[in-house]
Amino acid sequence: MTIAGPLFVLGVPLAVAAVLQILRRWTIISVFLAALTAAGMGVLLTLLPLGGVWTFRGLTVELARPLVVMGRVVQIEAADIFVLRYIFFTAAALFLLAWRFLPHSNFFPVGLAAAALFSGAFMVEQVVYTALLVVMGAILTVFPLHESGGAAKGGLRYLVYTVLALPGLMVTQLLLDLFMVFPNDQGLLNTATVLLGVSFAILFGAVPFQSWLSAVSSDGSPPVVTYLFTVNTGTVWFLLLAYFRNYPWLSQQAAFGTLFTTLGLVMMVTGGVLAAAQQRLGRLVGYATLVDNGAMLLALGTGRMEGLALAALLLLARPFSLGLMTLGLQGLRQLTGGLDDHLALEGAAFRAPWSTMAFLVGGIALAGFPLSLGFAARWGLYRITAMTNFANAMVALGSAAAVMLGIVISMRVLLTRPVARPASEAPPPASAPILKEDRLVVVLIVALLLVTLALGFFPRVASNLAVEMAQWYTFFP
Amino acid sequence: MTPFAVWLDRISGVTTTTAVWGLFLSGAVIYFIVEWRLRVLALFAQYLFIGVLFTRVFVDRPEMSLLKVLVGWLVCGALFLSVRIRQTAGERPHFHWAADLPFRILSLVMMTVVAYLASQRYTLPFVPQDLALGCILLAVFALLFIGAEEDAGVVGVGVLNLLAALDLFYSAQDPGLVVTGMLIMVNLLVGLAISYLTVAEVRT
Repeated sequence: MTIAGPLFVLGVPLAVAAVLQILRRWTIISVFLAALTAAGMGVLLTLLPLGGVWTFRGLTVELARPLVVMGRVVQIEAADIFVLRYIFFTAAALFLLAWRFLPHSNFFPVGLAAAALFSGAFMVEQVVYTALLVVMGAILTVFPLHESGGAAKGGLRYLVYTVLALPGLMVTQLLLDLFMVFPNDQGLLNTATVLLGVSFAILFGAVPFQSWLSAVSSDGSPPVVTYLFTVNTGTVWFLLLAYFRNYPWLSQQAAFGTLFTTLGLVMMVTGGVLAAAQQRLGRLVGYATLVDNGAMLLALGTGRMEGLALAALLLLARPFSLGLMTLGLQGLRQLTGGLDDHLALEGAAFRAPWSTMAFLVGGIALAGFPLSLGFAARWGLYRITAMTNFANAMVALGSAAAVMLGIVISMRVLLTRPVARPASEAPPPASAPILKEDRLVVVLIVALLLVTLALGFFPRVASNLAVEMAQWYTFFP
Repeated sequence: MTPFAVWLDRISGVTTTTAVWGLFLSGAVIYFIVEWRLRVLALFAQYLFIGVLFTRVFVDRPEMSLLKVLVGWLVCGALFLSVRIRQTAGERPHFHWAADLPFRILSLVMMTVVAYLASQRYTLPFVPQDLALGCILLAVFALLFIGAEEDAGVVGVGVLNLLAALDLFYSAQDPGLVVTGMLIMVNLLVGLAISYLTVAEVRT
């Protein structure tokens, strides 16, 4: 029996996700089955050449074979392989990270199903289906976001903003198809550009649509938030590139560079200022991510292949830094019964040293400071930006420094020995203070720390991958 | 004629203008009255009127309009269940007007005028003018619900209205089965997510 590659890549994770929904009671089975399925897909896509065939007990999978659904072609192309690998490997890693924090959670089946939808989005030819599948996957991730308590405001905002972006994405495709028929009607192209810009500004949490980022990161369960900021945002990023690949004249407009550079810088400055002023660690994660998103758009605004490679490198670095922050934040929240403000976390480093270290190192990496992969990517970005506009590079660097300031302030709070306070001023009592950190979580933290440091010392491994990815997008010189 | 065909025939007999008025009234009920049973009932009616508008888009395939209505009613059912769970958790149902009623009346009047003028002044491609008014009115309600409310249920209704407006507009351009099916999936997912968030709010 021969199966088309897209059916296998889409069908297997969806089928396993359905099984996992039944097996939710057994967390360990859920975690490993979800992680193995996602990692297995990633490995298959890495080891099997596109034209290759994989045979297992009479079942043959032809990766490049197209699947036709109601006249629409679904096919894995060479440029999609990198995207699919990113989605599946990141999802697999996050399932493992969430293991000890989300018992009996929906996150494992839902995360796997969302990964399948996201990967399916890049195998369909028309971008309108890509947009719809991305939105469907994004809506799915709302379900496990508030399982571990907290207000549901973050999930609601994320849902609203995601759906608000959908009309723009769908109408853009209509306008661009019309422009192909009437190439002299510049108005169509201008409207499409504006709509596309607004839609992606919403999806990336650009100013003034940034409220969902902070709401999600302060209310949501940290492992799910990390999934949302890495897999979901990564998918949105590749969706943007898919639009540029399908409609190359979009990126050839005169305003392209200015639009993305300005948007990126505004996001970086706003995120940096807000991150420096934060009193809650969850929100700090959200605003640091906003700065990182801005950096990616700034890299795109350079209008060069090198910029695209740097943006890809930033995306590759994010799961490591955010993963560390997640482990740290979740550990610190468990210590205080769900609170993550400075008042409650004073001196937490003495009770949860590994969680504190994970949060701080992850934060430093996300801010783009040494020693981390993020530093290599950001440094490259400052250099490439300075070549055309030195002031922009300084503004970007200043924004990163502001995030770093937020991390340093948090570090001071976490490392302050708590002083005895009157009962009226004491922070709310923790539901169950943990005196000893989970050993398995400590092992995960150490492993992630080592990988982050190793990639910081030897960024070439990741940068080669990023350059390889950028070469598939040929709309830039 | 089968009962199904008779029912469809009657539905398509309602004029677009009547359906738009129906949309407006049901939307106004959701916006002005803070009582969940009435709100769900109004949403139920709103989906019926949306179905009437769809009969203008799917002229040759009325069953597609029926499908849209059924999906909307399914979402209403899910929302109703969530609200019931929320009510048993302590919130007692009672009829009262929204606290900021004068503001809501003013904003609805202003936005309706804007919607009417927009439908007169700008032509949406492939969308007849009366249908365009319905489309814009749904988008206006979406903005009002999302902007004026904090409650997950009402904000969710706003999101569903936005999707309905997009669905009407896009189906007029591309009435293909794949897009229609995917938009139905998005509607169902949004409905489920809203129902879940409505309950999650109470649990916390």
